Amino acid sequence: MADEQKPEGSPTPPSAGGEASQPPQKPAAPAAKPAAPKPAAAKPAAPAAGGHAAPPKPPATMAATPWTSDLAQELKERFAGRVLETSTYLGQNFIVAKPDSVIPVLEYLKLEADFDYLVDVTAVDWPKRAERFDLVYILYSFARNERLRVKTYIPEGYKPETAVTVHLAANWLEREVFDMFGIQFAGHPDMRRILLPEEWQGYPLRKDYSIIQQDQAWVRENLEIESGQ
Amino acid sequence: MKKLLNKIFLTDLFQGLWVTFRNQHPKYIYTEQYPAERPKVAERYRGAPRLNINPDNGETLCIACNLCALACPENLIVVTSERNEATRRKELTEFTYDTSRCMFCGLCEDACPVDALELTQDFELATYTREGQIWDRQMLEEGPKPTPYKC
Amino acid sequence: MPDATFLDSTELVLNMGPQHPSTHGVLRVILKLDGEKILGTECVIGYLHRGVEKIAENRTFAQFNPYVDRMDYVAAISNGLGYCLAVEKMLNIEAPPRAQAIRVILTELNRIASHLLWLGTHALDIGAITPVFYCLREREEALKIFEKYCGARLTTHAFRIGGLLYETYDGFEKDILAFCDWFLPKVDEYEELLTNNRIWVGRLKNVGILTADECKEYGVTGPVLRAAGVQWDLRKAQPYSGYEKYEFDIPTRQNGDTYDRYLVRMQEMRQSVRIMRQAVAAIPEGPIMGKVGKVIKPAVGEAYVSIEAPKGELGYYIVSDGATQPYRVRVRPPSFVNLQALDRMVRGALVADVVAVIGTLDIVLGEVDR
Repeated sequence: MADEQKPEGSPTPPSAGGEASQPPQKPAAPAAKPAAPKPAAAKPAAPAAGGHAAPPKPPATMAATPWTSDLAQELKERFAGRVLETSTYLGQNFIVAKPDSVIPVLEYLKLEADFDYLVDVTAVDWPKRAERFDLVYILYSFARNERLRVKTYIPEGYKPETAVTVHLAANWLEREVFDMFGIQFAGHPDMRRILLPEEWQGYPLRKDYSIIQQDQAWVRENLEIESGQ
Repeated sequence: MKKLLNKIFLTDLFQGLWVTFRNQHPKYIYTEQYPAERPKVAERYRGAPRLNINPDNGETLCIACNLCALACPENLIVVTSERNEATRRKELTEFTYDTSRCMFCGLCEDACPVDALELTQDFELATYTREGQIWDRQMLEEGPKPTPYKC
Repeated sequence: MPDATFLDSTELVLNMGPQHPSTHGVLRVILKLDGEKILGTECVIGYLHRGVEKIAENRTFAQFNPYVDRMDYVAAISNGLGYCLAVEKMLNIEAPPRAQAIRVILTELNRIASHLLWLGTHALDIGAITPVFYCLREREEALKIFEKYCGARLTTHAFRIGGLLYETYDGFEKDILAFCDWFLPKVDEYEELLTNNRIWVGRLKNVGILTADECKEYGVTGPVLRAAGVQWDLRKAQPYSGYEKYEFDIPTRQNGDTYDRYLVRMQEMRQSVRIMRQAVAAIPEGPIMGKVGKVIKPAVGEAYVSIEAPKGELGYYIVSDGATQPYRVRVRPPSFVNLQALDRMVRGALVADVVAVIGTLDIVLGEVDR
């Protein structure tokens, strides 16, 4: 949105109004365009920088409280120094593990603690942090009727080990993480893009990825017109 | 024996045909004869947008507060206004609404504090051009005028 | 003699989809065949990818709400419910009881509508033409109720964060009860047409078996899991939106084949009617909107909330950095995860079984691709 390159897209509302009020048919199309820059002006920090308005102050942290239970205790003992944090937030438990010990933790949780259902694998991009990505595994135990999130923080370029060896469900989920974030999983049987075409450039869910740029390039190449976005 | 008679007199066939015949009753007809008969949509139907006019004085109800434009997920509403020096109030000059991008979620009508913008029961929004999908203030106030179907 | 002169029976690669009518949308399956036998499959998905998760990052919490309807567009109300519950969890609020009851009614009605579409198209794939007309006729009545309630039939945007926007219309309860009374005999009618039908049974029995352990391994949920004998339903396991107040059973079967999944879903429709009747009888009075500010701004944090959608576990993992826009919204789509088990289910089966198995997985490509 803020990547608008056209001169008439200058974000001040009066000029947009001038555009829109011209009666002939042709400006009818541009009339819709100023719609995009306007809200961008209203929310100043919006897409250009990172696709998301970062809070101006140093980010407040999640008000998580320590999670105490037998399982948390056991995890801490067994993986001393490798499970960094056992916390709970809004009644949802999560643990933070070191990147290289995620798979042993998942394995332990599956075999010893009945967390036999891998619900989801996903990632979150924090471009300003040294370890850029959160890698999140959401687990569920049918026997305990409990959910648990296993998180790990990984820097860019780090290749976490695949979880397919523990849970088969991780196959497509990890492929999607690769597709969207560019995190390569070591040992994954089929590390290809899944939702986007093979020739796609970039990783869309990274914060520095601008949707508008890609869209404009695509429209220019395939439709040979200027994108209306 | 009974089986044989059933076979000779085609009982199964007639049973089946009876089911078919029963369903011929007009009560069971669900097909809408669309262009000939316009379907009745629900009262709360979210269709074509309309900018309401005050029936007493013919002026627009819109106060150009821009809340609908901010609420719209698709950023398809542009409201422009002018400050009237005499009354010292903002007055609406132009209002464009791009129905081609609209998903009729109704967030703009929720946001409107004066019930000026409303999604109406009109649903015939097809046009021949992309430009025709972008409605200006006049179009929004008058509503779409689909050509009536003649058989 | 050199090997090359032997008649070489190499595998045949057959491309099914993306415009094949029985792949339910734009799913493309590449089949590796030995004659009629399937040696392996590969799903090519993403034709309907719209980048919903990226869109979410550029919208406010309230603005993203209509987009979730467009993932599983057959069960838009379930999607909306999941999203609203997730954001409500982030805000640490709960919808008022009246809103919860109405949400339950509409969600169950939507489950019926979704299952009806599944049944109709599944039967059509197998070769039974009649059920699809019956099912769409009944679904029409459900969609009419949605239209009357919120003004849209498919992509409803019925719920808002914190409760509901629309109060029930006059005669809502009556409409629901009338639908329930009218609908139950129709389920019997479908069963009459299909359950003991020889072709139906022959095509479905022992096709696409997925055992309980395999289901867990692949993360498969919903009716597929229940047909394998696992009595697990999030509405019971971790009740949300007041489901603990209603009495209903979790239908299960033991074989985990396509036929059992059919029976489970038929039972589920009946159970949905049961829930709706109870909920309509006890809609509490009161407000329908909780205490939510004009600007929705959850505290920094994250939450994962999931519901039992008609297709399985639908989860939303939301990360907030304290702004008005979500920092990250991850949707855990049941169709996507369930589809992954397709390969296991059809390996060694025949080509015609692929159609049956895709039908029984009840995928919606809008949700698979997002």
